[in-house]
Amino acid sequence: MKSHWGQRPSPFLIFFVAIFCGALFFAHSPYAQAQAVDAQTSRITLSLATEPPTLNSAQATDTIANFLLSHLMEGLLRYGQDGSLQGGVAERWELTETGARFWLRKNARWSDGKPVTADDFVFAWRYALKPETASQYAFILYPLRNAEAINRGELPVENLGVRAVGAHELRVEFEKPCPYFLGLTAFMSYMPLREDMVQRWQRAYAADADKLLYNGPYIMSEWIHGASIRLRRNPNYWGRNEVAIAEIDLPYFTADTSAQFNLFRDKRIALASLDSGQLDKAVEQGFDIHQFQTGALFFLEFNFRKGRITANKSFRKALQALLDPSILVNKILGMPGVLPAYSLFPTTVTGPIRSTGEASYFRDQFPVRRVTANLDQARDYLERAKKELGITAFPPLHLLVGDSPRALQEAEYYQYVLKRGLGLELRIDQQIFKQRLEKMRRGDFDIVAAAWGPDYDDIMTFADLFSSWNDNNRGRYNSPHYDALVSQAANTADPKLRFQAMAELQELVVEDVPILPTYESASLYVQHPQLRGVRRSIFGGDPNFRDAWIALPEGKR
Amino acid sequence: MKMSLSYDLFRPYSLSTTYPLAGDGACSGNGPESVELPLAMPSPSLSRSGKLAGVAIVLLLVFVFIGPLVWQQDPSRQWLSQISMGPSASNSARLVDNDSLWQPRGEVQTAVVHSANTEFVRLQWPAVEGVHAYQVFRNFAEQSGLGIPLAVSRVAYYQDELQLAETRYRYTVKAEGSDKVLAEWEVTPEPAMSRFEAQLQGLPEQSGRVILPAHPLGTDALGRDILARLMAGGRTSLMVGLIAPCLFIAFGCLYGALAGIAGGWLDNVAMRVVDFVIALPFLLFMILLRVAFGIGPGEDGVFPLILAMVMMSWTGSARLIRGQVLSLSQQPYVEAARLAGMGRLQIIVRHMLPNVLPMILVSFSFAVPSAIFTEAFLSFIGLGVAPPSTSWGAQCNDGIKTLLSHPQQMLLPAAMISIAVLAFNTLGDALRDAGDSRLRELS
Repeated sequence: MKSHWGQRPSPFLIFFVAIFCGALFFAHSPYAQAQAVDAQTSRITLSLATEPPTLNSAQATDTIANFLLSHLMEGLLRYGQDGSLQGGVAERWELTETGARFWLRKNARWSDGKPVTADDFVFAWRYALKPETASQYAFILYPLRNAEAINRGELPVENLGVRAVGAHELRVEFEKPCPYFLGLTAFMSYMPLREDMVQRWQRAYAADADKLLYNGPYIMSEWIHGASIRLRRNPNYWGRNEVAIAEIDLPYFTADTSAQFNLFRDKRIALASLDSGQLDKAVEQGFDIHQFQTGALFFLEFNFRKGRITANKSFRKALQALLDPSILVNKILGMPGVLPAYSLFPTTVTGPIRSTGEASYFRDQFPVRRVTANLDQARDYLERAKKELGITAFPPLHLLVGDSPRALQEAEYYQYVLKRGLGLELRIDQQIFKQRLEKMRRGDFDIVAAAWGPDYDDIMTFADLFSSWNDNNRGRYNSPHYDALVSQAANTADPKLRFQAMAELQELVVEDVPILPTYESASLYVQHPQLRGVRRSIFGGDPNFRDAWIALPEGKR
Repeated sequence: MKMSLSYDLFRPYSLSTTYPLAGDGACSGNGPESVELPLAMPSPSLSRSGKLAGVAIVLLLVFVFIGPLVWQQDPSRQWLSQISMGPSASNSARLVDNDSLWQPRGEVQTAVVHSANTEFVRLQWPAVEGVHAYQVFRNFAEQSGLGIPLAVSRVAYYQDELQLAETRYRYTVKAEGSDKVLAEWEVTPEPAMSRFEAQLQGLPEQSGRVILPAHPLGTDALGRDILARLMAGGRTSLMVGLIAPCLFIAFGCLYGALAGIAGGWLDNVAMRVVDFVIALPFLLFMILLRVAFGIGPGEDGVFPLILAMVMMSWTGSARLIRGQVLSLSQQPYVEAARLAGMGRLQIIVRHMLPNVLPMILVSFSFAVPSAIFTEAFLSFIGLGVAPPSTSWGAQCNDGIKTLLSHPQQMLLPAAMISIAVLAFNTLGDALRDAGDSRLRELS
């Protein structure tokens, strides 16, 4: 999602971490003896990595909030069990190059019984874009006409390209073609808000369970800050009959995967993420281990600000020729499912629709050029860098990393390989998440280990990351060629042109090395055998229990 | 770090024995014949546990300072092909070329293992009609169950490169979404190393093989030799543990003694300063000092660590010595010496010093373990040494991640800390007991 997350998961990232780190689990009855799953009352108990900073869908940025909001609220569309887009509040829709139309369900209701209307969406989108709301995710609404100008305070919110035609029809106008707009409407920033609630509570909106309204499959029946959260099936939800699990208890807030694994072993929670430390133990105890590709890309980002050695291309090429992602992934990380990354675009990025009508993966159609690790070549590049920079020895480099144990391990590996292979000294700057983001913003690093989780199901979520105008381009990489390719893809709806530009972009990243991709993350988890149908997905909140159910015990484990 | 103030105040010389001595000193000046009384230390009759502790400390010092001469492995060298290994002897490994894009030639009729070494295991099985994806699992052969899901493969072959060790594995292939096993192998990979790593490590090649060194205690999660790291870590830990107490006890003693001897308002002011220092939070100071010294991120913080300890920990010994000096100066034999016209310096050298020296030694041996512990704690939370240097505390921090799967990575450094702390504490106890005349008389 937005925000780089590296070692220490960022908000959104935390959520992946929640998932990855195994934040979620099932069981019910937080008190006395919590039980992972209770088939009779259809309750499950889970753990949450951490409490969400906010549940205001216009302001939330983190993965935890995304998980909760995907259960509490529903946008125009939602991701179904098979990962395809299905009707949420919208019943029918129509997408063109210039805009979109949505027809809302008449039976979609808020938890207080009032119908969900088109005005609730208009209000929510305007609210998210208002400069006073200071939504970090406002940019995700930029495909709407005038959205960017409104967000910068240059136009009044009334000029936003969305309007309600009656209570049940919504018309959207685009700024420029947006072939992936339908997927966006499933994202939390696009969820409806009730104006009267937001006005009534103002800043306290969504701060407590009774200070927000729900239109999703669940309502929050209890939120004890710092202690527990409890979700109950929403009796006013239009699809209530499809929701099998009546109650989801979240009585444990811990990001510690070994604590989660212990809870799982004690049958207190129904789902637990594993880290490499628990993996062997889980295998030994005979648990079925599941795997899930999170779609996030981890990479080393170089600083291109004036005076930084990393701004030198030969120097970056030397590191590229030295650091083999597959050694990192297979030897150091040791997590099955985590893939070595060679491209800006992870293997999970969708490509053009095939002639048969099925979706494809971008990387299957446009394979990336791999640079094989070669020590002699790396040393040659380094010599060249020395000449170009006119220096005789390299000063120590600062590697900014998060504060997780895995991050440190990774950093120590780079430190060793750089020293041994090229004689470079690397100083490890470990910082907590907020501090790391701050240092990234200030450009206080040579290399930073960062990560990016996709916000929406389109290649552009990765592609525009290193365009010169993107705030998240922390290294201030500035390449007219890169910018031109991004603009070229952004201004056309023709899949052929778009993906051709993206293929060129992929090659440019390998050639110019603005970043060094390291790995594509994956989550390993154990799940209660009676719990079925949990949807693990990159988009739309993960994990998702809307369509999950509890099977009867089989008499064995 | 806080020195316990509850030791018995040490009064080895009873009035009757010391009085004549004082007189003697006064009469004969600094004649050599006056040295018959125990001026230095009480007779060092250590208890057995004290002796044992002494031996343990000597062994630790030998291990840490002489050990690296015998065991000459670089403690920060990462053997990437030997991650988290148990104890192992030196062996040779075949050099192989990794190819992460490996593809088999043609199809096979039966399940085949193309090659099996610790760099890669290449598997191929007959493709099954109608199956879109295969799930590949790996487990240790002696364990039941499918084990870890390695990958979902859309083709009928797979190359496993994930942290392979020289042990027997069982691979299982199933069609995705079904329980039917399509292929199963039991494989023991032979030791191997990639050419890239061999070149990186600078290992000489001998007819396609390289020699890997032994790891008597195994390797950690980054493939570093644990024995070499325990030695290197101990060097930091013991250095901090010995240097810091030396400095702060020396300073504390001097300060306390001066305050005690000066007396009056000077003493009063000096003791208020001590109160003030005691009230300062150690951790905060530690962080401030790092900043003040411009210790940037990723740089070693051992010097500010020692300095912070010296600045914060001298108060205990200062109080102790001042109290002792005050009580000594009122002893009749000291008064007698003074009356007899002995100079201040002489009194200090003849009477004060011998009487406080044992106590200084005792507080030193108690300060060492607490300093070791402080260093361990600070390195554990990341304020101490920075990689690639290491200490026992930092190694515990590293090892905690793999506590469940490879407990030795945390338990070994933890055991070293425990032994060091216990030995110095026991020694301190024994020294105190040995110096305590009342206890001696009882026994």
